Formats: sequence, structure tokens, C-alpha cells
Amino acid sequence: MFIIRYRWWIIIATVLSVLVCIIPLTQIRINPDLETYMPDSMPSKQNNKIISDVFGKEEPVLILLESEDVLNAGTLKRIENISQEFSRMSEFSRVFSLFQTKNIRSEEGNMLVDPVIKSIPVTTADREKLRSAIKANDLAYKLVVSDDFHYALIMLSSNKSKNDVTMMQDIHQTLKKFSVLEKVYMTGQPYLRDEANKKISRDLMLLLPLGLCFMFIFLWVSFRELSAVLLPFSVVVFSIIFCMALIPIFGWELSLIGILIPIMMIAIANNYGVYFIAKYQDLNATEPHLSMIKIVEKSIQYLFTPIMLCGLTTIVGTLGLVAHLLLPASQMGVVSAIGIAFALLVSLMFVPAVLSLLKKGKPHKDLVEEKHGFFGKLLFKTGKLVTKHPRRVVVFFAAFFVLSTLGLIFFKVAPDSNSVMPKNHMFNQAIDIANHHFGGNKVITVMFEGDIKDPHLLMKLDKYEKELKKLPNVGSVTSLATLIRKMSTALNDSTDPGFNRIPESREAVAQYLELYSMNGDPKDFEQFVNFDYTKTLMTIQYQADNMSEINMILNKLDKLTRGDSIKHIVGGYSLVDKEISESVVSGQNYSLLFAFIAIILLLGFIFKSFTAGWLGGLPLLFAVFCTFGLMGWLGIELNLVTALLSSISIGLGVDFTIHIFWRMKWELARGKNYSSSVMGTLKSIGRGISINAFSVMLGFSVLFLSAFPIIQSFAFLIIISLFLCLVCALVLIPALCLILKPKFLTDTKIKGQKSLSTNTPIN
Amino acid sequence: MKTKLILTALAMFFSVSLFPQTAQEIIQKSTDLIDISSMEMVSTLKIMDAKGNVRERQITTAAKKFGDANKMLIKFIAPADVKGTTLLVYDYDIKSDNMWIYMPALRKVRRIVSSEKGKSFMGSEFTNADMSKPNVTDFSYSILGKENFQGKTCWKIQQTCRTETIQDENGYRKKISLIDNSSYLCYKVEFYDFSGKLLRVQLLDKYKKQTNGKSFAYFMQMENVQTGRKSIMTVDKFQAGSQLPESAFSPSALEK
Repeated sequence: MFIIRYRWWIIIATVLSVLVCIIPLTQIRINPDLETYMPDSMPSKQNNKIISDVFGKEEPVLILLESEDVLNAGTLKRIENISQEFSRMSEFSRVFSLFQTKNIRSEEGNMLVDPVIKSIPVTTADREKLRSAIKANDLAYKLVVSDDFHYALIMLSSNKSKNDVTMMQDIHQTLKKFSVLEKVYMTGQPYLRDEANKKISRDLMLLLPLGLCFMFIFLWVSFRELSAVLLPFSVVVFSIIFCMALIPIFGWELSLIGILIPIMMIAIANNYGVYFIAKYQDLNATEPHLSMIKIVEKSIQYLFTPIMLCGLTTIVGTLGLVAHLLLPASQMGVVSAIGIAFALLVSLMFVPAVLSLLKKGKPHKDLVEEKHGFFGKLLFKTGKLVTKHPRRVVVFFAAFFVLSTLGLIFFKVAPDSNSVMPKNHMFNQAIDIANHHFGGNKVITVMFEGDIKDPHLLMKLDKYEKELKKLPNVGSVTSLATLIRKMSTALNDSTDPGFNRIPESREAVAQYLELYSMNGDPKDFEQFVNFDYTKTLMTIQYQADNMSEINMILNKLDKLTRGDSIKHIVGGYSLVDKEISESVVSGQNYSLLFAFIAIILLLGFIFKSFTAGWLGGLPLLFAVFCTFGLMGWLGIELNLVTALLSSISIGLGVDFTIHIFWRMKWELARGKNYSSSVMGTLKSIGRGISINAFSVMLGFSVLFLSAFPIIQSFAFLIIISLFLCLVCALVLIPALCLILKPKFLTDTKIKGQKSLSTNTPIN
Repeated sequence: MKTKLILTALAMFFSVSLFPQTAQEIIQKSTDLIDISSMEMVSTLKIMDAKGNVRERQITTAAKKFGDANKMLIKFIAPADVKGTTLLVYDYDIKSDNMWIYMPALRKVRRIVSSEKGKSFMGSEFTNADMSKPNVTDFSYSILGKENFQGKTCWKIQQTCRTETIQDENGYRKKISLIDNSSYLCYKVEFYDFSGKLLRVQLLDKYKKQTNGKSFAYFMQMENVQTGRKSIMTVDKFQAGSQLPESAFSPSALEK
């Protein structure tokens, strides 16, 4: 036999290829930036690029300080010190706090331009005077200080001259330097990326060893033989090294989703080796006269085809992720599929090659004597139920399906990526504060093109502002029109016709702008209008808990601007987030459809029967939709991680069905009737499938310890999904086979007919 | 007699050698050569962004000292949409400035009371601090050596802001100036930001000596090397001293 003849070459080649993979593995880099997870061709990203090419690529970091009263002297002094320190740092192009905000107004015929805080108030009277002044200043109230004065905001515009890690360290050091007593909250993409980066590293360092540990223990409990444990364990370790090395080899980076890759390998890669070891122990116990080499040869002969088919179907299911729009998801599909293929190859070649060199162990006593363990008893009872009441079983499953899928009514898609971090994380706490006490944590930017000095254009912007502010979830709308109107209140008395209005002549607008540029910082000015006055930016600050609230604003904007000749582009990170969420849905649908169709075709091809295809697909359909229904009932949102669920669970769950069909065909080919075949199938392969399923579930359970709630949810859902696949395979499929008696089960012509003709089962 | 002459010559020689000029003295001399307290000029200010877009302003400036106030009148003569816009500034050494603006489109004069001195001059890369006479005691000085610049041998002098407050007021931590060691005119200044990185580079050229013996640069360029923005001020006409009466520097004169 090829494997036995060339076993040393196979062992050396396997070990060498793994050792070579260690080199690129050291080059792996983490990418926690969710925005890069989407292709650049995405419309919201393209719009953002157009806008940032004109108005700059700064990213805001928001720092919120909580205090009983932010106007107390100590807090104000600290805010002043911190803002000044930040404004001296090269990585921030702009710092905006109470101390950078101006008070522009008209008084006794004069235009007054003062800082909001001229001096820090010491007495209560001064403090209340300042409070009233801030309340009357719409450039400060609810922008840099909350409505109840419990929170003060410092906004830092990062020019990306330093990386996230260095910049966040600088921020933390500054806060420490000034002994900030107030509670500090932070939010913004640079902060999120830094935190996600740390948590991705932490997850890998914790979950991977823990997962390997669980797997080792499980294998030991199952096999009680060191070589039997180490061989599948080594397959897993090799597969993890191999597929993780593919990431830098392909020029990719490890994303948040990438944490799932090694865990998937732990869950999947040991399966094929496990079947081999199980077969070796079985032959060792039942045919003790066989030499190790003979055992290995027989095992290869029996297991090669079914294991190949199981591996192939898992690969096909996993490849469904390639249809995902999210780049890391499709990358994960490619890497995992190749990793599974590697695990398959190693299990079919390396494991028998090494096994053939070892001495036989003591026969496993559980296999020598007939014992009825827990699984045995349970499967026996299940078999009895299925054979006695197959129709009731099918009706029960149908009812369960209907009840579960009713949960789809409550099914929700996450409107943004805020759920990446736990609810009680500072990032999300800051978002809550921004939503409840400031204008909201989300921003939409609209870039208008035209002659910006044209009063008619400015009046249109003014009108849009007023209309958008009427929406309940819009906190503030600012544009050049806001600024011009503000200046008009300072340059005109309240009785003048020009007070609080856009001026009517182009010259007046030009002179207002000239005055502003003379008195203000050009950088401040250029957040509203570009250098040659041909483009202006409107910023809409809002909050939204779901997609429909975001769409409400976009629809309103569309309605307002429809028919207007002013060219405009809509952007803002919240729209990128929204598009990521929408692509999660479409990606999930594509990958589900792809995986489903591929599996049905593959099953049909294997068993040369269309019935086998759709019958085998039923448990998968059942599991996937019931899981989605459960998500609806439990309020678990579809997000960028839970959207990977269907492809992965289909790829894993189909194995159980293949084993059931395979064994049933073998039982029927021996002349048994359907009822006896079902009992025999459950008694034999049922145990193997159950152990396999529980080992996979155990592998994924490690994800409950992830720092990311979305990965914890994924763990819960994949375990549920796999459990449902298992129950369907062990209960529903046999019941349906008893009722329908499909021809393909009695037809002996299938792929791998050799296995059946030797009258030997898989296990 | 002869001995006296020799001794005097020796004393002069040694005084030069034993007491070389300090950096502060060089800077003081250089600053004193430029006098903008009383003048009239027409200049063109070109402001360019990093992409090469240009904003051009033509302005007339008149400045004169009356009592304790340096009074300045800046009037836009181009482009057309801002033509006639006039800024009047009373600059005091001790108390805060008074400022008025006349906007032809509004046909009114408005006094601007601003406790903050705007940093940027007319929205350009020049700051208001660049356009006014610096306070020599705000800085510490050191001579870094000599450098040849455009065929001139220049002292390379470093000026560092003494306090953080002065740094914030000026917008930089230190600057390095190249001063011609024969004429004491400054031809180049490099400004460094708070973290010590090069921020702006100023070039001065086409100095012309005025009737009052002082010099004035007819060409000034300021480039922000971090943003790529550049501003160029060229003087089209310059007259030392102003003939305008004090009444021309009053708010009531702006509307006329």
C-alpha cells in the first residue's frame, strides 16, 4: 500500500511543511479596523473617500469627563490643562472642548468674540452666570457640555500621523499626568481599533491553548491511549499552523473574525483522525490477531472514501463563506477550507503512517465487552421511538420548526458595529452618554458642490438644516449656513433685517467669510468649506438603534434635495457601518444559498440521487432556520460574526447525515428491514456521530471565554445549530427514511461502492 | 599721543575680540533694522493650499503711531467681492486691541471686541505674531554657527520661547533664523512645533532701504511644511512714514 510503502517520506514531508509554515506565521499582523473589512468599491467608502480628499481624513476620538457639575473649578482646570496638552501634540490637528469654543454675539452695537470660558469661575454666582451663558450658546451647549452639565466633551481630531497604539498611549498618559479625578469615557474608531487589537491578541493567547487543552482531555477520556490522543492532537496543531500561515502568505491580515479560524480547526481537524483511531481500537479489540500494519491497511481501506466525502462536504460548506461580501469572511472561507483539506490529507496519510510504526496498545475494554453506556441506552430508546412512531416524530419536528421560525418576526440586524465591545465597555458607555446627553454618537456628512458664496445655495442649506433638525433622532446639524447666521447675529442688531439670516448678496457672504478667516483658525474654517469655496460640508449628528432610524434621515435628506440642482454626496462613518451591516445580511444569504446548493449537489452526486440531496439537506435547513428563529426569540442580532453561522454549521452538520445514509445503506444491503436498519445504524454509527458532534461543540465552547460578545453569541448559536443537526440526523432522517423508503438507500451503486461490497461498516 | 592712539586701537580691537556679539544682540539689531510703525504700502497676498489652489488678495496698509496706540488701516482693493472691506486696528502695548471692520455690503462699521488675538493673518500661513515686532525678552538665544545662504554668510541663531504660554501665543517652540552677518538682515526663518518638528519656513528677500534708513522686505514667503500650504506676500509699493492724519484712522472715516 502506498501509505505504508512511503510512510517515512510522508512523515518527513508533513513535519517539514509544518516547520516551513512557522516562518510566515511570525509575520502575521492583526487588523482590527472594521472599515477595511469591506471592499473599497463599497459606495459608502467611496463617498467617504471623495469627502475626505476635500475635507481631510481626520478621525475623531471623543473623551467624556463625568462630574457632579463640570463647571466646578477643579474639573474646568483639568479640562483646560488636558485640552492644552492635547493641542500641543502633533497627532491631533484639532482639539475641541469648552476652552476652544467661542461665544460670538452682538452687544451694544459691537461684535463680541470671546472664549466661552474667559476665566474659571470660583464663586457660585460666577458659576451660574457661566452656566446661563453656555445654555444660550448653541456652539457650546449640548456640543461640548451635556444638557445637565454632568458631562464635558473633549474632541480630538486625529490626523493619523501616529498609529492607534501610540496615540492611545499618549492620551492615557496625558489623562494620568493631570490626575483626572472625574470618570473618563472614550469612544471613536481609533480607540475601538486599539481595544479590539488588544482583545484579538488576548483571545488568541487564551482560547487557543484552552481549546487545545479541552481537546486533549476529551481525546484522553475517549481513547485512554497516549498515541491515540497524540496523533489526532498533532493533526490539529499542524492544521492550525498551516492555515494560520496562509494568512500572511496570501498577504492578508488577521481580523476579528480570524479568531474563529484556529477554533474551527480544533473543532473540525481532529474528526478525521478520530475516526481512524476509533477504527484502529475497534480492530485491535475485535481482531487481535492482526498486526499493526494490517490494522492500518484495513482502516485505510474502510475509512478512506467516507472520510474523504465528509471532508469534502465540510470544505464545500466552508467555501460558502467565499460568497460573503465581508473580506475577512471570504478570506476565512478560503483559509479554513485549505486548512481542512490539509487536516484531511494529514489524517489520511500522516496518521496511518505514524500508526504503522507504533506497537499495538492494549485492547480497549469497552470495545471488547458489550457495554451499554449512556449513549448506547439513549440511542436505543431513540431508535425505538423512531421505529414505532415515525410520523409523530416528523410532526413534532415540523411543529418545532414552525414555532422556532416564528422568532424570525423578531429577527434583527445590528445597525452598527458597537456590539463588538461588551455593553459595559467604556466605548459603549460613552456612546450611551453621547446619545442621551449630547446630539448622538453617529454622524452623517453631506458635501455640497457649487458656488458657496451664492446666498441662494446657503439659504437652501439653511432650509435643509431646519428640516433635518425636526427629526426626533437628530441632535444637531451644522454647516456653513450655521456659521454665517451666527455671524449675522453678531454683525447686526436684533432689529436689523439681516439679523440671524443669510445675507442676500454674494458680496456680503464673501465679506462675512473674509472676516471669519481673519479672526479664526483656518483649520476650523476648513471643516465647513474648502479652499476655493466650491464645496461645503454639512454635519448631521444623530442617534439610531436600528436601520430604519438611519434610513429615516437618509430618506428625509433625499426628499429635501430631490429636484435641487445642487450636487451632493452623502458620507460619514455611520453609513459605512450601516453598509457593513447590510452586507452582513446579503453576505449571509449568498453564503447560505451557495453552501446549501453545493451540499445538495454533492450529496446527490455521492449517492447518485436527487432525493439523497434534498433529504440530506433537510436537517441542515431545519438547523439553520431554527437557529435564526431562536436568535429572533432571544434578541440576538445578526452581526458580522453570527452571519458566518450558516455556512460553518452546514459544513459541519452534513457529516452526520452522510454517516447515517452510509450506514443505513450498509444495513439494508445486508438484508435487514428499515426498522432493524435504523436500530442498527443508531446503535453503531450513532455513538460515533454523537461523540464527534459533542467534541466539535466542546471545541467551539471555548469561544464563550472570548472578550467579544459577538463571538460569545456565535459560540452559543453554533453549538445550538450543531445540536439540532445532530438530533435531525439521529431522529428526523431515520424517521423520514422509514416513511419514504427512498430508493437510493437500497441502490448499491454509489461512490465508494468498494466499502459496501466488503460488508464492513465505517465505525 | 602716539601711545594713546595705539592704546585706543588696541582697546577697540580687543573689545571686539573679547566681547563678541551675543545672539540676542544680533537679533535686536536685526529687529531694529525693520521699522513698520509708520508706513504706507500696497501689497499682494497669495494664499496657496497644498493642491496649488490660489486665493489672491490685494490690500493697502497704512500704519502710524499716535500716542500709546499703533494704528493700522487695512483695506481690500481686490478681489471685487471684498473690495472696500476695511479693518482698523488700534494696537496697544498694555491694554487689549480695539478693532473695527467696515463691510461695504452691509454699509456699516462694526466694532469687534475680541479677547483672543486671531493667530492667522488674513487666513494665510503668516501669523499676526509674524507681522508684528516681537518682544525680544520672550526668548532665549544661542548662536548655532554660520551658514551660507544664497551667497551670503549668515549667523544661524536659535530663539526658544521661554515659557509654554509664550509658545502657545506664538504657535511654535523655537525658531532658527539666518541673519546676514554684514547687513543684519534676516533671510530665512525655520519654525519648529511643540514637539520639535519643523513646522514652517519663512523666506525674506528683496530688501529695500527706506528714506528713514530702515529696510523692508518686499518679498515674504511662508510655507507650512507639515500641511504643504504656502503664502506669499509681495509689496507692490512702499513708503516709509505715513502722511495720513489721525482722523483717517478713526472708525467714522471707514464709511467714507
